[in-house]
Amino acid sequence: MKSASPGIERIFSWSAIDSKSRVFILVCTLLICTIPHSSGQETITGWGEAESWTDKDLNSAVIQGEIAWVFGDSGIVRFSQDSGATWQNHTSLGDANLIAADSFGESIAVLSSEGVIYMKEGVDDEWGTIDSSQTGINSIALTGEDSFVIVGNGGNIWQYIGETWWNRTTSFSENLYDIDFNGDEDGLAVGDAGTILATANGGATWDYRESPDEDATIISISYFNPYRMFAVSDSGQILYSTSPGGFEWRLREIESVGYNTTLATTLSSIDVVSSSRILFAGPEGYLGLSLDQGLNVERNILPAGVNTSFNDHAMFDYVSGIVVGDSGVILFTDRAGENEDIGFQIPDYNNFGEFVEYADDMLLSGFIATVKIVVFGILLGFSIGVLLAMLKTAPTSFKNILERYSTNQIRGLGAVGLIIGLWLLYTGVTRFPKLQLEGVEYIFTPVGDPRGFAMFVLGLAIVVISIQFILADKKLSGRLFKVRPLNSLATVYTDFFRNTPLIVQFMFIHFGLRLGMRIQQLMEGTFGDPGIDGIDYFFYGDRTFLSAIFTLGLNSGAYQCETIRGAISAIPSGQMEAGRSIGLTYLGTMRLVIMPQAIRICIPPIGNEMVNLVLNSSLAMVIGYSELSRQGKLMIATTFQIFSAWGLVMISYFVVTWTLALLLRRLEETTRIPGLGISGGA
Amino acid sequence: MADVVLSIRDLHKIYPGGVHAVKGVTFDVHEGESVAIIGSSGSGKSTVLRCINRLIEPTDGVIELRGEQINTPVADVNQVRSRIGMVFQSFELFSHLKVLDNITLGLRHVRGMSKSKAEEVALEVLERVDMLERVEAYPGNLSGGQKQRVAIARALAMKPEVILFDEPTSALDPELIGSVLKTIRGLADEGMTMVIVTHEINFARDVADRIVYLDHGQVAEEGHSSIINEPKTERLQKFLSSINEESV
Repeated sequence: MKSASPGIERIFSWSAIDSKSRVFILVCTLLICTIPHSSGQETITGWGEAESWTDKDLNSAVIQGEIAWVFGDSGIVRFSQDSGATWQNHTSLGDANLIAADSFGESIAVLSSEGVIYMKEGVDDEWGTIDSSQTGINSIALTGEDSFVIVGNGGNIWQYIGETWWNRTTSFSENLYDIDFNGDEDGLAVGDAGTILATANGGATWDYRESPDEDATIISISYFNPYRMFAVSDSGQILYSTSPGGFEWRLREIESVGYNTTLATTLSSIDVVSSSRILFAGPEGYLGLSLDQGLNVERNILPAGVNTSFNDHAMFDYVSGIVVGDSGVILFTDRAGENEDIGFQIPDYNNFGEFVEYADDMLLSGFIATVKIVVFGILLGFSIGVLLAMLKTAPTSFKNILERYSTNQIRGLGAVGLIIGLWLLYTGVTRFPKLQLEGVEYIFTPVGDPRGFAMFVLGLAIVVISIQFILADKKLSGRLFKVRPLNSLATVYTDFFRNTPLIVQFMFIHFGLRLGMRIQQLMEGTFGDPGIDGIDYFFYGDRTFLSAIFTLGLNSGAYQCETIRGAISAIPSGQMEAGRSIGLTYLGTMRLVIMPQAIRICIPPIGNEMVNLVLNSSLAMVIGYSELSRQGKLMIATTFQIFSAWGLVMISYFVVTWTLALLLRRLEETTRIPGLGISGGA
Repeated sequence: MADVVLSIRDLHKIYPGGVHAVKGVTFDVHEGESVAIIGSSGSGKSTVLRCINRLIEPTDGVIELRGEQINTPVADVNQVRSRIGMVFQSFELFSHLKVLDNITLGLRHVRGMSKSKAEEVALEVLERVDMLERVEAYPGNLSGGQKQRVAIARALAMKPEVILFDEPTSALDPELIGSVLKTIRGLADEGMTMVIVTHEINFARDVADRIVYLDHGQVAEEGHSSIINEPKTERLQKFLSSINEESV
């Protein structure tokens, strides 16, 4: 016959909650989940806008020493001598659009859409004019103070060196859009159909490099050094090569866009300013910055009202520089355009939300740490409790143990014991220091050598017992044979642990016995270095963790022992007799008959002990284990929110103990046996 | 005469407090015989019975099971007990186990049988005590008579050489006694060797082959069950008359 389902009695039973309360719970949950994230911080643009005194599209920018130059449509030229903040007019260079520029040392050159190159070999030099007589030229790169290479549509490449033009056009006839040199020898040119051409002799001869994407229109290239070459396609791809000479090119899988190979925008220009820092520019107001070679690209915030197409960067160094765009836009920065976090956050911990935001990680780690030692402490404490209770109740007097041996065997044992005991006595006594102190205040000095004293006491005990063994008669009737050694040991243990403060036990075991350290060293010797995470670290990476578990377990075991012993005593003696009468051994009866009933009886008081263990675990803070209470103290140390910190810690403890109580209640219900014990509604 | 199964010679028991409960009890139990031990309260009946399977350690004397002494330190007490069944006054069923598991516990953990084999044996003995329909019940849900029948089945399952009954009916309501006595009588008819400590004089007379009357720790009278009708000693006469007065 089965008893009625205990479903109604359960604490968490959705079906037992009435509909009004359900709605209330759901609404509360929804509210808690949707409370907005509060932030005292703001992010603003890292760019400043400069007045360019023109509405014409600016196509190119270049740095000559301290001077920044920008060039635009209709030959417009502007220059700045204060890092791009203010700009001055300069005489126009011709009427054609100026589309590209480059520098080499003090020398700068600018290219017009009609194929005319204007050069200025020094800050104080005048502009010179060189006509290439070519059309459809797209870009220029200087290879020396007065030498350069231009590239254009149809694979057109011309080298100007020694005041002479050389046609270096190759068999590759795709349009070339950009060219860049690193020094005066090594250069790269890029263009349609994924074309990448490389030269190692200043542009005299060009070789084809295999492209990672043969459909890409590579719009801009930056040859930073022999190990850092980057290019972008107009569809937002970032190409890179780290092999000297640019033999091997790959597409960057960009982390910040989910390991895609394209940024979600089109690009027009790339500028590598340091070995890891890359700037991007594109149409539709796109400026981007990567601090890790393009793995993560963050879009720059632009000054209000600026939403133009950007065409070129020019950097004085790796942080300060300018960018130019259509409609005469010039922006300048001294932080490489990086978004600026302003109004540095002054956390207001009086605001509970902000306090929680700061403290939740600490609280969670403390919570986990507490649960960890509690779980292991409970397991250890319960095992020790059961063991001690068994020892205390077992009929294991010397008589019980020895009566199956003959008198001569017992006497022999006594003789061996006597020798060992006398040796211990002698060793112990000779180890006592001769301090020759007088006065009652030196009452502890005989203990001066604790090891010697322990040997003395142990030796004394063994000698007394051994003498009784030697004098044993057939019936083992001596008084001492009634002594139950296991019971005595268990009693000493429980008395010790129940009559000393737990906080002292923590410190004695951790700092005195250094139990955690010893176990850790033992485990290291067996299983190797624990490392800094993983399963090894979990079990023996933290020696305070080990000490805490053992202290809690040993302490709780002493208390649980008495509870379990009480439960064992509550089982009628006839149960033991019945078990023995069918031939079970003592231990067999204990295991199969007595314990299953006793444990059921003592679930409520054992639950009490376990809850106590959870609460006592807070004392582990004295040995530096970072459980909840210690985390609470740390939280207060930084936030000064005493009420909130201890309040949260308290709630966390409550969650642990309450969950534990619920589990035990559930356990009690499921293990209840009809007719065993008086328990509500059996 | 059939073989002697159990032989008790000059049994003494002095309790730690100094009470001399049993003073030189001697009797034999033969194969297939049922012996009833009767006597007033405190006469040492239960002590004798418990000495036989060493739940109480006798102070002096010899107890032999099929000719081998069992009350020596070297005798394997667990093995001895598994050969001697015991039924208690207060049933002592394992209350956390179902009826079936109560019976299979000894078979599995003492006899080392497999679970299925043990259950087979258990169902067999439960049929003998007419408890087949309650195998899934917990002891707490059984009546006293049913519990005692299960306890008898538990003893029977071990296939003991002798079963000791320690006042099997004195904890039962009068109307429940009948079923238990019927079961014990059935066992007697099957030729089970039994020692029964009882207050049920009529039952002792009907079932027992021999009566042992204990008075103050000594065997005051011993003989065929007919001695209840014709007591030879004055002490037994007195005892019987006091019981008759009670039952009137």
